Amino acid sequence: MSGYGGWAGKVLRVDLSTGRIWAEDTIERYRDYLGGTGIGYKVMWDEVPAGTKPYDPENRIVFAVGPLAGTGVPCNGRMAVTTLWPTCWPVPLVASGHMGGQLAAKLKYAGYDAVVIQGKASRPVWLMIADQKVELHDARRIWGQGTRSATAAIAEIMGQDTVVAAIGPAGENLVPMSVLISSVSHSAGGVGAVMGAKNLKAIGVRGTGSIRIAGRKEDWEKLIKYHLSLLGANNQHVVPNTPQPWAEFYDPKSRWNAARGRRWGAAGHRVDTGTCDPRDTNRIAYRSNLAAFFLGDNAWKYTVRGNGCTSCPIRCHTLLKVPSVTAKYGIPAVGQNTCVGLYFGSAFFRKLPDGPRGMQSLEACMVGIHLADDLGIWCNYGQLQRDFRKLYYDGTIKRKLDAGEFASYSWDKYERGDPAFLFELLPRIAGKEGELGTSLGLGTGYLLARWGLDEAAWGAEKETGYWKMGHPRHHGPEEAGQCGLLVNLMYNRDAQCHSHTNFLRNGLPLPVQKQLAAELWGAPEAVDGLGDYRPMHPAKARMAKWALLRKELHDSLSLCNWMGPWAASPLRERGYRGDNSLESMLYTLATGDKKDRADLDAVGERILLLHRALTIRGMGTGEMRTRHDLVPAWVFADPGGDRPYTKGATHLERDDVRVALDMFYDELGWDRATGAPTRKTYRKFGLDDVAAALSKQNLVPR
Amino acid sequence: MNGAVWEAAGGPPVKVETSRETTAEGSDAWPAGAAAMIRARSAAGELCPEAEILNLLPEGPVAVPEMARRGGLGGEFLGRLLNENADLHRLCGAGSPCYYSDRHMTAAYSRLLLHKQEGPLRLIAETVRCYCREFRRPLALAVFAQAPFDLEQPVLREYLARMSQTEEYDDIAMVTTSEAGIYLYATSCLEHKHAEMLAEWLDVGQDRNP
Repeated sequence: MSGYGGWAGKVLRVDLSTGRIWAEDTIERYRDYLGGTGIGYKVMWDEVPAGTKPYDPENRIVFAVGPLAGTGVPCNGRMAVTTLWPTCWPVPLVASGHMGGQLAAKLKYAGYDAVVIQGKASRPVWLMIADQKVELHDARRIWGQGTRSATAAIAEIMGQDTVVAAIGPAGENLVPMSVLISSVSHSAGGVGAVMGAKNLKAIGVRGTGSIRIAGRKEDWEKLIKYHLSLLGANNQHVVPNTPQPWAEFYDPKSRWNAARGRRWGAAGHRVDTGTCDPRDTNRIAYRSNLAAFFLGDNAWKYTVRGNGCTSCPIRCHTLLKVPSVTAKYGIPAVGQNTCVGLYFGSAFFRKLPDGPRGMQSLEACMVGIHLADDLGIWCNYGQLQRDFRKLYYDGTIKRKLDAGEFASYSWDKYERGDPAFLFELLPRIAGKEGELGTSLGLGTGYLLARWGLDEAAWGAEKETGYWKMGHPRHHGPEEAGQCGLLVNLMYNRDAQCHSHTNFLRNGLPLPVQKQLAAELWGAPEAVDGLGDYRPMHPAKARMAKWALLRKELHDSLSLCNWMGPWAASPLRERGYRGDNSLESMLYTLATGDKKDRADLDAVGERILLLHRALTIRGMGTGEMRTRHDLVPAWVFADPGGDRPYTKGATHLERDDVRVALDMFYDELGWDRATGAPTRKTYRKFGLDDVAAALSKQNLVPR
Repeated sequence: MNGAVWEAAGGPPVKVETSRETTAEGSDAWPAGAAAMIRARSAAGELCPEAEILNLLPEGPVAVPEMARRGGLGGEFLGRLLNENADLHRLCGAGSPCYYSDRHMTAAYSRLLLHKQEGPLRLIAETVRCYCREFRRPLALAVFAQAPFDLEQPVLREYLARMSQTEEYDDIAMVTTSEAGIYLYATSCLEHKHAEMLAEWLDVGQDRNP
């Protein structure tokens, strides 16, 4: 191991087919890719040939963290899980899921930057990593169990300070819409079945080591405090959602929902969140209550506290205690989750008797949290529920199911918004039972194909939220104009990029955002007012590129792209500026590898480029512009018939999108005609070997 | 690393001053006591009425002009208070003048509290105008049920009905979303179609794009 700090120094390799376990040096092979998705893409490029299927033993599943994981850096708890994505339609391509919790830190403390799994075990196993002791154990006794009991069983063997990541029955049954769950509620969507195909039930990690920081202790502490001083609330919203004495601005949609008198009602003692002045960094954890944000003010009463990842003060997984659900549904009164995981249950229903934020909705959420996380079902950013609602109400489900199967569901309960309906539906998805359960578990693209429904038509309806390749849009053009569109084109699942939307939703007025945008992306025209979009501008392409590079850097360093970047801050005295160099400052001090912002951005660009190369190789075509970077029809449609770029219109114009793509490809050094990176660009980022391999298949523009 | 930038980040957490020098003796001590009181009130999220400040004025050898004691628009001592304490500010609304400290309260919040003193209709109207001017977005009616507005949810619609019949509030308009959310906007800042789209996005669309 070199003298670098940050990295643990070893990548653990496990071949389930042979039982062989070995380690490689992280720095030698992966330093230029940082960690996380960077390592994931590199392994996939080097070791998984085109044409490999997600469930093939040759496929890899790469659990990787970055040099900042497990350190004192705020929001460093992200574990990237990279593999061939089973729900990517029509051809599975590389993608990654990102889970929080404590797994990333524990892996580092055990001495590893990544675990690469290959092969297929001859019978169910689980992987034990207890510092340097790494063993495969028979998992037959826990195969078939939910993630909760499997986790408990492994923790009983390894000890209470173990972190377990486990799949549920959905993953075991090779349901593509399945997750891996750790730390109760943290999930990596889409990868459960890949583990199931390898007969790998779980990974248990106990790590007792530490991480060396290369820089001086005083500098490190100062930098951490500086980072903390720039933190806002969840998603880096930097103003509160109601007027507060300290705040110049407020935004009712901000996730900074602390206020004097708002209490964690189910806490053991009285906890008032208070006004949470941004200069009081000891109260950051009180700023956001995601349950109250997503489920309504009713949730305050049932809030125990915020939970979250290693070293993250935001605590976005709200722990709820709802006693009524135990008697009614036989599930634990306590549960936790965040974002779409919180309302996994209620989102299935079009109507709930007391509205989307009433008590029955809250109970449906609790049922959803427990069932989905225990069975290990993925919602694909809510696409599962949106698909289900549409398929039911447009009569498709009735048409596609035989009469017996259709009658086996209590549709009256469903239409009444009765959470008990979820006990009928979700286990059948996890068990691939019947036509409905099986089809819903496939993911949107494969479901539509199985039922003979037109994917393009699905994408023409804005209400479906569908984007392309089996996945939904994730912070797209209706709220972020051309930048949102460009970000949503790049990946082989939903974009999972929050860089742009965290900035646009930060709660600052447009003039302030434009001032910051001019500093960050060279012109105030990078951002538009909500619903007041203007034609494409080069600064928008720069913002989109920045958003993607920040995402790749975060996913590779183990920072949370749901909380960052920290381009804005809640500090009035700084003109609400954040710091766009935080990532490079943290990286440099942690590792000792001196990189300024431009240097580190270049690494982020290399990682993004490798993802693009993997996509091109996987698809067997360089025609990315016309075959991959596809825009659903709803983006161009306006129900009112208004012209684009008028106030109140959120749709875009086709010619302008062409211009947007041209500018974006130019920014990245990709060929305008095809959207494929040029040889010059591969060379610029040290990927000559990648270019050479692609050239042999005519996949690099001439 | 750029230490200067870190130092500029804001320093230690703000300490809330709660001491009140209400028994200050003499004209020299009085401004300090008054300033402390204003700061404490600001830290508690309240404006400090001028009358309360004047009540601190010392009786005795240093005579205070009766004009100042009555409030009026200032007076020698109130002027001195503001001159010597750059963080203190005076606000004049429909009622008695009030003071706040910008160490603990922003101008925006102080204006909101001032409008609150002017009655619910004016509070709603001025808040909507200010919000629309600043953000070019409509504001959810439900916001007014929250602190610091603290208007009773059941009477909010009644206030809206009264506003619709009052010429002074002609510029305040309303849109309703597909989930029955009510949003208000100022017609001088937003066109109706834009307000409709924004309200629908804020009330429904954004929650489906979390």
